[in-house]
Amino acid sequence: MKLELGNFYVKDIVFGQETVYKDGILTINKEEALQLVREDEHITEADLVIVKPGDMVRIVPVKEAIEPRYRMGGGPVFPGVTGDLMQTGNGRTLALKNMSVLAVGKHWGGFQDGLIDMGGEGAKYTYYSQLINVCLVADTDELKEQREQQKKNHALRWAGMRLAEYLGKTVAEQNPDEVETYELSPVTKRSEEEDKLPNVVIVLQPQSQMEELGYNDLVYGWDANRMLPTFMHPNEVLDGCIISGSFMPCSSKWSTYDFQNYPMIKRIYQEHGKTLNFLGVVMSNLNVALEQKERAALIVASMAKNLGADAAIVAEEGYGNPDADYTACLVALENAGIKTVGLSNECTGRDGASQPLVSMDAKADAMVSTGNVSEMIELPPMPVVIGELESLARDGLSGGWDNDAILGSSVREDGSIIMENNAMFCGDQVVGWSTKTMVEY
Amino acid sequence: MKKVIIYLNQFFGQVGGEEMADHAPEIREGLVGPGLELQKQLGDDFQATHTIICGDNFMGSNQEEAIETIKGFLEDKEVDFFFAGPAFRAGRYGAACGHFGRAVQKMFPEAVVITSMDEENPGVEMFRKDMFIFKGGASAAAMRKDIEAMAKFAKKLANGEEITTAEEEGYYGRGKRKQFFLNPPVPATERVIDMLLKKISGEPFETELPVPETNYVPVAPPVAKEKLSEATIAIVTSGGIVPVGNPDRIQSASATKWGKYDISGVDDLKAGEYQTIHAGFDPAAANADPDVIVPLDAMRQYEKEGKIKEMYKYFYSTVGTGTTQKEAARMGIEIAAELNEAGVDGVLLVST
Repeated sequence: MKLELGNFYVKDIVFGQETVYKDGILTINKEEALQLVREDEHITEADLVIVKPGDMVRIVPVKEAIEPRYRMGGGPVFPGVTGDLMQTGNGRTLALKNMSVLAVGKHWGGFQDGLIDMGGEGAKYTYYSQLINVCLVADTDELKEQREQQKKNHALRWAGMRLAEYLGKTVAEQNPDEVETYELSPVTKRSEEEDKLPNVVIVLQPQSQMEELGYNDLVYGWDANRMLPTFMHPNEVLDGCIISGSFMPCSSKWSTYDFQNYPMIKRIYQEHGKTLNFLGVVMSNLNVALEQKERAALIVASMAKNLGADAAIVAEEGYGNPDADYTACLVALENAGIKTVGLSNECTGRDGASQPLVSMDAKADAMVSTGNVSEMIELPPMPVVIGELESLARDGLSGGWDNDAILGSSVREDGSIIMENNAMFCGDQVVGWSTKTMVEY
Repeated sequence: MKKVIIYLNQFFGQVGGEEMADHAPEIREGLVGPGLELQKQLGDDFQATHTIICGDNFMGSNQEEAIETIKGFLEDKEVDFFFAGPAFRAGRYGAACGHFGRAVQKMFPEAVVITSMDEENPGVEMFRKDMFIFKGGASAAAMRKDIEAMAKFAKKLANGEEITTAEEEGYYGRGKRKQFFLNPPVPATERVIDMLLKKISGEPFETELPVPETNYVPVAPPVAKEKLSEATIAIVTSGGIVPVGNPDRIQSASATKWGKYDISGVDDLKAGEYQTIHAGFDPAAANADPDVIVPLDAMRQYEKEGKIKEMYKYFYSTVGTGTTQKEAARMGIEIAAELNEAGVDGVLLVST
């Protein structure tokens, strides 16, 4: 499979008469874009707001981030989700870089939603403060879940994807600034040089803990809770075969943008043919029942072993209950003689003294750690808030609270906030961007 | 100006050597011995106002009294920093630094407690989670260096500088894991690849999430059902049940001692005769009826019915709360050795 990602580096985004991309400037006809958003009758109110790195702006509740793209030769950016099924990872896809579409609740947030500060001291806690973001700020008539802590956020997430496809289309006829090429031959048809190198797989554990459909990550439109581990080409992930879900404390989540740009996959590619032979992706999941965890770990280890993997990387989207899957998978691979490195965050509590993972095993002797979900973060007020600040306290965001006996509310009257890292939008950057680690104090 | 109080033992407090180890706690204005060097190193932004001196043995055998006395001394004092030691490899001194440090921290939650010990000082394992214990030398030859390390760190804190990691600052990790932005920044992708390539090629690598070592003890085979009537059974508890008055002075938390108590001829542990000294749960029910933790009444009944042959003549007790794994393992090994020696067949291990 050979994937070409044609990159257009967006320098600025403005509103204007026509939705068009020219010389690095993306102009958006707001009304036309919003009409597309309102194609879903469940969207009751919608607006677009552009934010840039350094803006003194706080965005909450953020539900999703998507990179605008266009699939050359036609076809949906997210097969099985925004259009018919087709294989991803082959051919050319165009991407608007340096930007994302953010789906933001106008009022209501939930357990899985997060916060982004575009400037100030809070900006370092999330990757998305470095991007120019088109915020789709909307409300819906999904009244059933409005006051529920767990939200599927269906209307907003799908509207975000439509918007990303709409913006991506602007570059359909243009030549990209740069083309990144990702190519791997079938595993049994590698060159002699490649075959000599240590064989490596990456095991992805996307979030799939909810038994009810509609909350979990989707693989080609299929709920990850209902699948068994399967083998995939890394290009499929980079090219939209998987979208983010709407469950899990936000700092541990992988957004759709994260999947589209999966830095760990790209980094293994850089080593391919030099220090290792990249076999591909074992796509697993994170179901809650013990038997499901054991079954997934068994199949992952068997698949890796039979592909001839000498080494593996395992990445976990979540913490707490799914730590059991993570550790089980690391142990199963080590037991199969595969040298494995883990990639996840930790939960050591506000005082840092708790056991880092729910389940630990001495065989998991090589782990990279990207942050502490329960780290306390206190930030000053921001002059501008997009969405509704009160949602952090009121709506059960995983890192917020409305009335702590000692700390009071997460949102103070002056607009300053106190929260756990848990509610930072995709803050622990487990996909690989994180420059955070964990140390003992 | 940061107010400083210093604790020293009788030797470094210049009261005397081992013959003065029973010296009761005293507090003096001003500085003695190592305190002079510490004040010099700390500089003008710190004022060491008082020195507390207590004999090693006094602390060892009158721990509660010593701590209460010192708390009394400090009632009307200002404490921004409390320095204890350095204690080098001296075990009793190290324990005293830890106990006093912990008490002072509790009394002054905003104060910074700093001490220094050699890695083999048992005080390190007992108190590393409670205060900053710097990695010190084995003997007083390291005095100047150890004091320098303590002072340097205190100045850093006083200046509001960010502390990096236990490893870099030079103290024993306090078991607190916190997130840390790497400077210069190194993304997780680089760290994973580096670790993976090293692991593949058999080079040494360092995990970012060390898994605490667990030494699983194989579970002993159960007493066979048909042999139960021939079995001698003992009770061991971490629930802190002791005769009223706590004759062995077992600590109420972070225990390092255990006791054994003769129950020959006793059929029932009565309120007022036995109590719990465990500080980790509401003691009301256990004090009203100690059998809820050491179920001697029920076991005596089994004895009468012939279900078991007999109860061993002692029960063993310590306190589980805050007790380090290391101390717990040592106590377990000591108690198990006695039970084996006495030919006990089975143990009822009761927690809380």
